[in-house]
Amino acid sequence: MEEQKKTAGLLGREEMDAAVRCREFALAHGAQKVRITLDKSCMDLFGMLNGELDKVTHALDISLSMSLFVDGRFGTFSCNRISDKECEAFILKAINTVKMLEPDPARDLPSPDRTAKDAVTGLETELYDSAYEGIGADERLEMAKKSSSFARRSELEHGFTVISEEGEYSDSVYDNYLIDSNGLECRHTETSFEIGYEATVTDKDGNRFSGYWWDAAPRLADLDISGCSPEAIARAAAQIGPKRHKGGRMNMVVESEVASKLVNPLLNALNAYSIQQKNSFLTDRLGEKVFSEHLTIMDFPRCAGASGSRFYDSEGVATHESPIIENGRVSRYFINTYMSNKMGMAPTVEESTRAAVIPFGGCRTCEELLRKTGDGILVCGFNGGNSNSSTGDFSYGIEGFVFENGRILYPVREMVVTGNFITLWNNLAATADDARSCMAKRIPALAFGGVDIRG
Amino acid sequence: MIYPKEYYLDIFQVTERELQRLVGEGLLRGGDFSDLFFENTAFGNLVLRDGEVTSGGLHSDFGVGIRVLKGEKTGYAYSESTGLAEMTEAAKAASAIACGASAGPGKDFDAVKIMRAVHDKADNFVLSEANGRRPVKKSFRGSPNPAADRYGMSTLWQNVPAEDFLPFLLKTDAAVRAKDSRIIKLTAMLSWQVTDVLMYNSLEELKYDTRPMGSVTVSAVFSSGGTVENRSVSRSYRTGAEMLDDRLVAELAEKIVSGIDARFDARRPDGGRMPVVMGAGASGILLHEAMGHAFEADFNRKGQSVFSDCMGRKICGESISIIDDGTIKGNRGALNFDDEGVPGQKTFMVENGVLTSYLHDRISARYYGVTPTGNGRRESFRYNPIPRMRATYMEGGDATRESIIASVKKGIYVDEFSNGQVKIGEGDFTFYVKDGFLIENGRLTAPVKDINIIGNGPQALADIIAVGNDPLIDEGAWTCGKEQNVPVSCGIPTVLVKSLTVGGE
Repeated sequence: MEEQKKTAGLLGREEMDAAVRCREFALAHGAQKVRITLDKSCMDLFGMLNGELDKVTHALDISLSMSLFVDGRFGTFSCNRISDKECEAFILKAINTVKMLEPDPARDLPSPDRTAKDAVTGLETELYDSAYEGIGADERLEMAKKSSSFARRSELEHGFTVISEEGEYSDSVYDNYLIDSNGLECRHTETSFEIGYEATVTDKDGNRFSGYWWDAAPRLADLDISGCSPEAIARAAAQIGPKRHKGGRMNMVVESEVASKLVNPLLNALNAYSIQQKNSFLTDRLGEKVFSEHLTIMDFPRCAGASGSRFYDSEGVATHESPIIENGRVSRYFINTYMSNKMGMAPTVEESTRAAVIPFGGCRTCEELLRKTGDGILVCGFNGGNSNSSTGDFSYGIEGFVFENGRILYPVREMVVTGNFITLWNNLAATADDARSCMAKRIPALAFGGVDIRG
Repeated sequence: MIYPKEYYLDIFQVTERELQRLVGEGLLRGGDFSDLFFENTAFGNLVLRDGEVTSGGLHSDFGVGIRVLKGEKTGYAYSESTGLAEMTEAAKAASAIACGASAGPGKDFDAVKIMRAVHDKADNFVLSEANGRRPVKKSFRGSPNPAADRYGMSTLWQNVPAEDFLPFLLKTDAAVRAKDSRIIKLTAMLSWQVTDVLMYNSLEELKYDTRPMGSVTVSAVFSSGGTVENRSVSRSYRTGAEMLDDRLVAELAEKIVSGIDARFDARRPDGGRMPVVMGAGASGILLHEAMGHAFEADFNRKGQSVFSDCMGRKICGESISIIDDGTIKGNRGALNFDDEGVPGQKTFMVENGVLTSYLHDRISARYYGVTPTGNGRRESFRYNPIPRMRATYMEGGDATRESIIASVKKGIYVDEFSNGQVKIGEGDFTFYVKDGFLIENGRLTAPVKDINIIGNGPQALADIIAVGNDPLIDEGAWTCGKEQNVPVSCGIPTVLVKSLTVGGE
């Protein structure tokens, strides 16, 4: 007798059986291949405004998505009513729609030898906290109240006034069930607990400054409930008294909280959709050394208990630990089954799961990184701007502080950083080792030399 | 488009008596306002890539959001089923805002009696400073259906088979490619949606509406002399499938190649502080981001906006009037009713340089003691409504575009921005210039690209020293992402800001 495996989460057997029936119905009515994704989530949020309960939200969602392969043609469909009657009518309409498209021989399901076999119960990633099941509305309200520091703001106010403190506590459970007509069956279940606060303060002249801080964890015990509000207030107050700085070619240190802004364009440029559309500055660079030899970005998708871990991608392809950029060399494009067939390249995974910049340079904290760097601009936030995906040129508004001899001097405003990503990442000087555990991407504070910053 | 009431009651499988009961349930534990928002949305999309339409899909979304207010506090829950039991559970969850965390068990009650008792209570009146301290009712009744229909739809999207859309996409592909041989990749996407909405609230108002939206986006990658550039253009309207005509094909083709020669030649200019001329139309996104958000009443009610203490004050030149408008027929931001059942309307935020109105939902209107401005919007039934813009634009002035450019000795002319961001408290903004030119001695000279314009919203508004006579509302598929995504549009005449920071080499 097969051992009953422990499961948790939101999806019941009845709902998963409905997904299986959708697959079989589609196969029986004209589809040759089918992939079904069933998502269900529940979220409760208690929002606070100036220390008082301001908003309560309860959300329960279910969504059924279908990828249909019909006579060499392909379409995607989704609905949130999953009774047999509703789904069957929807599937018939969907199949008729697909039949009207042009054939696309590159469309296919992933080969079964590439798909995940070890995501059976949904609990393998160890991201589900059973404590979630014991949390009621009263406990949520208590945590939301505890998260606010508005009542003791006078202890925090030094030369400024807190005029608004807005934040929220939320928790959620997410359940994903993925099947296809090649025998794929995967499940992923996770809980998430979050606190986020935004504070607005005024200086003695009435000028407003805002700050934001947040924390999240898959387990409630790891959530910093009371630390976010004071940090948001401190961050707002730290911006009082900004000065203009004429800028120039300078060192730039980017806090870990916002450093992903500079990593995401690299990851996007490695996506096969961008490559195939000739819309990537890393087209035809696979295997080449493009960046500083100090830059290594790894994908660590299977770290048990770590935020963002996932055993399979949206096609069900198994994830693996792998280098993305290794010692400056482009090691991997993200190529799904479709793009693999279209480009004639071996498939990998749809995208990175938990990209991590590997620390180097011996600094542990951002403060140590500032001392090592000496002088420059510490970037704590990006404000607008964009990058050109074809050329890698970028220009972003920044906010942060001038630092000299490793010490922060004063805040700056209305500054922009301009450059090209290939040049920027070739000027990577050092990193800290302070990536935030609440973020799926593990990006520490980064120090670059010779960056064009203007004010 | 507005169908008879029975159409909506049938889609959502509810009776008017059940609507009353659900709203009553929301009020039962002490709430002072409650409303229901039923939504049935059908989406469709087709994608042309590499010359063939090989990808497409259909999607549907269905559910009801239930909101309970207690003062300015909000309780919100939703159900993806319109079964009475599921909706009642959602109403109980939303009503928790009124009684603390745990809503107790339900009981029998007379829903209409509760609604009327709540709304007739004396404390439902406020003394409004804006109304000569006369008592103003906290809750405001909107106009009954039928309202003005601002999105006529002669060809219903959902009734057109996908194959009938293919010729439009293929024709667009051919028309664009015929314009420029440097195009190496082209993607064209057609998306449409039709949303049936039914709203009911504790003022016993019943509103219903069917909202169409069609959008076409064309993206092209150009290659010349080893250099690659990309451009994207979109058009979006609240109308039916009749929008897919030859005129639109020609417009998209013309627009996407327009200025591409300059883009290949464009360079980053020297940075610094200088005058900036914003071209008419799409650069109105700066108005939306840098000023419009700061006029949204929720940010002001919470003291977070840089304009929180500025109502009735002169904040810019007398030649400037800024409007948020839900009444432009077929416009992406047009609304017969907002998502709280308040009629769509035209709101002057700044009139002749004076801040005259914030953008209100029902909560902020009660707080300020004014009439809601029809800006209570939401992404879907999954979200509670908050103040949001519709079509935001500046009225035209007296100056010609040519005279404005001629008045600048050295500066930047911006055709189009992208990726703008603003800090509401400080008013600081940064915008990426997609296309533009240097202005030297009163003439447009070298093309520029990939730079940022940075400044401060109130300061930039006060620094506008010329307003063109060429107001233009852009018809691109603009989407505003303040907590939730909603369709908007924006516009501006040619304007001259006397000094902004330009980030360059």
